[in-house]
Amino acid sequence: MTDIVLSVRDLHVEFPTRRGILRAIDGISFEIRKGEVLGVVGESGAGKSITGSAIIGLLEPPGRISGGAVYLHDQRIDNIGPDAMRRVRGKKIGMIFQDPLTSLNPLYTVGRQLTETILTHLPVSAEEAEKRAVGLLEEVGIPAAASRINAYPHQFSGGMRQRVVIALALAAEPELVIADEPTTALDVSVQAQIIAVLKRLCNERGVAVMLITHDMGVIAETADRVAVMYSGRLAELGPVRDVVKDPHHPYTKGLMGSIPHLGGEADRLVQISGAMPRLDAIPTGCAFHPRCEKAFARCHIERPSPISVDKSRVACWLYEEEKIENRGGAA
Amino acid sequence: MTQSALVKVDDLSRTFDVSRPWLNRLIEGGEKEFLKAVRNVSFLIEKGETFALVGESGSGKSTVAKMVVGLLPTSGGNIVIDGVNMVDPSQKAQVRALRRRIQMIFQDPYASLNPRWRVDRIIAEPIRAFEPLVPQRDVDARVGELLKLVGLDPRDGRKFPHEFSGGQRQRICIARALASKPEFIVCDEPTSALDVSVQAQILNLMRDLQDEFSLTYLFISHDLAVVRHMATRIGVMYLGSLVEVAKPDDLFNTPQHPYTRMLLDAIPDLDMTGRERDAVKGEIPNPIHPPTGCAFHPRCPFAYDRCRSEKPELKAGGNARVACHAVEDRRL
Repeated sequence: MTDIVLSVRDLHVEFPTRRGILRAIDGISFEIRKGEVLGVVGESGAGKSITGSAIIGLLEPPGRISGGAVYLHDQRIDNIGPDAMRRVRGKKIGMIFQDPLTSLNPLYTVGRQLTETILTHLPVSAEEAEKRAVGLLEEVGIPAAASRINAYPHQFSGGMRQRVVIALALAAEPELVIADEPTTALDVSVQAQIIAVLKRLCNERGVAVMLITHDMGVIAETADRVAVMYSGRLAELGPVRDVVKDPHHPYTKGLMGSIPHLGGEADRLVQISGAMPRLDAIPTGCAFHPRCEKAFARCHIERPSPISVDKSRVACWLYEEEKIENRGGAA
Repeated sequence: MTQSALVKVDDLSRTFDVSRPWLNRLIEGGEKEFLKAVRNVSFLIEKGETFALVGESGSGKSTVAKMVVGLLPTSGGNIVIDGVNMVDPSQKAQVRALRRRIQMIFQDPYASLNPRWRVDRIIAEPIRAFEPLVPQRDVDARVGELLKLVGLDPRDGRKFPHEFSGGQRQRICIARALASKPEFIVCDEPTSALDVSVQAQILNLMRDLQDEFSLTYLFISHDLAVVRHMATRIGVMYLGSLVEVAKPDDLFNTPQHPYTRMLLDAIPDLDMTGRERDAVKGEIPNPIHPPTGCAFHPRCPFAYDRCRSEKPELKAGGNARVACHAVEDRRL
C-alpha cells in the first residue's frame, strides 16, 4: 500500500536516569494513511506527547529511541541524524504545539516567519513566498491577511495565533502534521473554530494528521481512527465510532464512562479506581491489571499484545480467551 | 424563596485599575484605565444547592468566586451570606464568625498546598485557626477521619504533598476545606487540572460529600459537561455580566441567550450525531474597552439597534432569566 504516510513499528523510547531506565514508550505500532486523522488519547503520562516528539526527532535528552523504527513513506527517519532530520521536519512533517505564544518567535513579524519557512523548504522567489504567506493566512481565516502579515505575534489573540501556527505548519506543504494538544490552551468557542480550520485544510490537501489530545470531544469530532494509550503502550486502536461508542478494552470503557455527558444526566460517573502507575513502577503483565475489574491470573503475569477484535486492535487477554473459547466451541 | 437563600449576591461589581504608572502618564500622557471584571452581577444560592458559573476565560467567574469568599475586596454591591453582609464594615465580628463556615477549593492542587508542610498539618490548619483550644489528640483524630472521608489513608498524613498525584492532592484540598465543618464551599475549577478518569473520581466524591454534610456549592467551571453533571442551577457569564440563569435541563435543551446557544453549539460532540454547526465568529472583546450596549452584540447574529445602545437587564423569559433584548422583544 502506497498511501501509508507514517508507519511506526514497535517503537520503544527510554529515559536513562540515575535510578534506572524508565520506559516511556514500550513497543507501540501504528500507521497513518494519506488524508487520515489519527487521534492519540490518554491521560497525562501515558506517553502521547513523547510519541509525537520521537517521531519528529525532538526527544528531550536523555530520552532516546531504544528500539523499533519510524518510516515516512518508505524512508526510515528515526536514525538519519540531526541534519537530515531537520530537512524532513518542516518540509515533510509540520508541527502544531499546544501554546501558540511559545511556538512563534516574538521578535519577528508573522510574515517573516512564514516566508522564512517557505524559502527554506520550497524553491520559490521571495515575492512568490510572500504571496504564498498571504494566501496561507487567508486560508486559515485571518481577516485582512495582507495587512496583518506585518504584525508581531503579540498583536494577535490566542485563537488568531494558533491559526498562524497552523499556517506555519502547512507552509512547506508537508505530508504529515503532528498536532500536540492544539486547542487545549483555547476557549471552547475558539477551539471549535481552530478544529474546523485544521480539519478543512488537511482534508483539502490530503495531509495525514496525528492529533494528540486528552479531550475526547475533540477526537470524536475530528479523528478517523483513535489510538488509546496507557502507560506507554497501546490499549486500543480502532475507528473513532467504535472506540467512543463501543469500546473493547476495560480501560477505554472506563475512560469513556468517566466523561460527563451533555445529553442525559447520569447520576454518577463511572470511575476507574486508582491512578496510572509511575514509570518506575509499571506492573508486570498488563499495565492496567491493578485497576481492572476483569483482571484474571494471566493478566498479572503475561503482557497482552494487540489482537484484532471487530474493526479494532485491542491489547487485552479477555478477547484472546474469548477467541480460544469460540474456536473450541466451533471445533 | 428568599427565606432559604444561603447566599445572596446583589449588584456585585469589581473594577481593577490597569493604568500605567503615574509618572508614565505624566510624561507620556494618557488617561487612567479601568477594567470592569465584574459588572452588576446578582444571584441567589439556596441551601444544599450547587450553583454553577460558566463562561470563557476573562468572563469574570473567578473574580466573583474570590469576592464571595472574601479574598478580594468588592468595588460595589453586597454579598449577604446567612443574613450577614460580608462587605459591611460594621458587621466585622459576624463576618469573622461566618468565615469558618465558608471554604474554598482551588483549581491547581499543585499550587494550593504548602510543599514544606506535612499533609496532617495542612489539614489541621483550619481547625487550629478556628478552634485553637482543641487538644492535639482530637485534632489528630479528626485529621485521620477527614483523610478517610476523602478516600486516603490516615497514615498518608505524615507525607508531604509532592508524594501525591494530582487527584490525591485535590482530595487533600477537599479534606482541608472540610476541616472547619463548613456549610458553603466555593470551588474554582476544581477538576480542570485533572485527567478525565481522575476528574470523575473527584466529582463523585464532591457529590457524596454534599449529600452527607448537606453542603452548598458555588461551582466555577468552563466545562459545560462538568457543570451539567454537577449543578442544580447554572449562571452563564460573558464579559463580567450574567447573561442567563437557568436550570441545567432548561439551559441545555432550550438555551435562550444567543451567547449560550453559541457556547453549546461550540462544544465538541461526543455523541457524534454529526450535526452541522454554525461557525462561531470572533472572540471575547477587550474588557478595558467593552462594546456599548449589550457586550455580546458584535458577535451576535441577532443584534439590532437597541443592542448597540442599551445594556439589557436579567429578566424572566421562559423558565430562565435572560439578559437579551432580542429575547425580551420576542425576536428570537
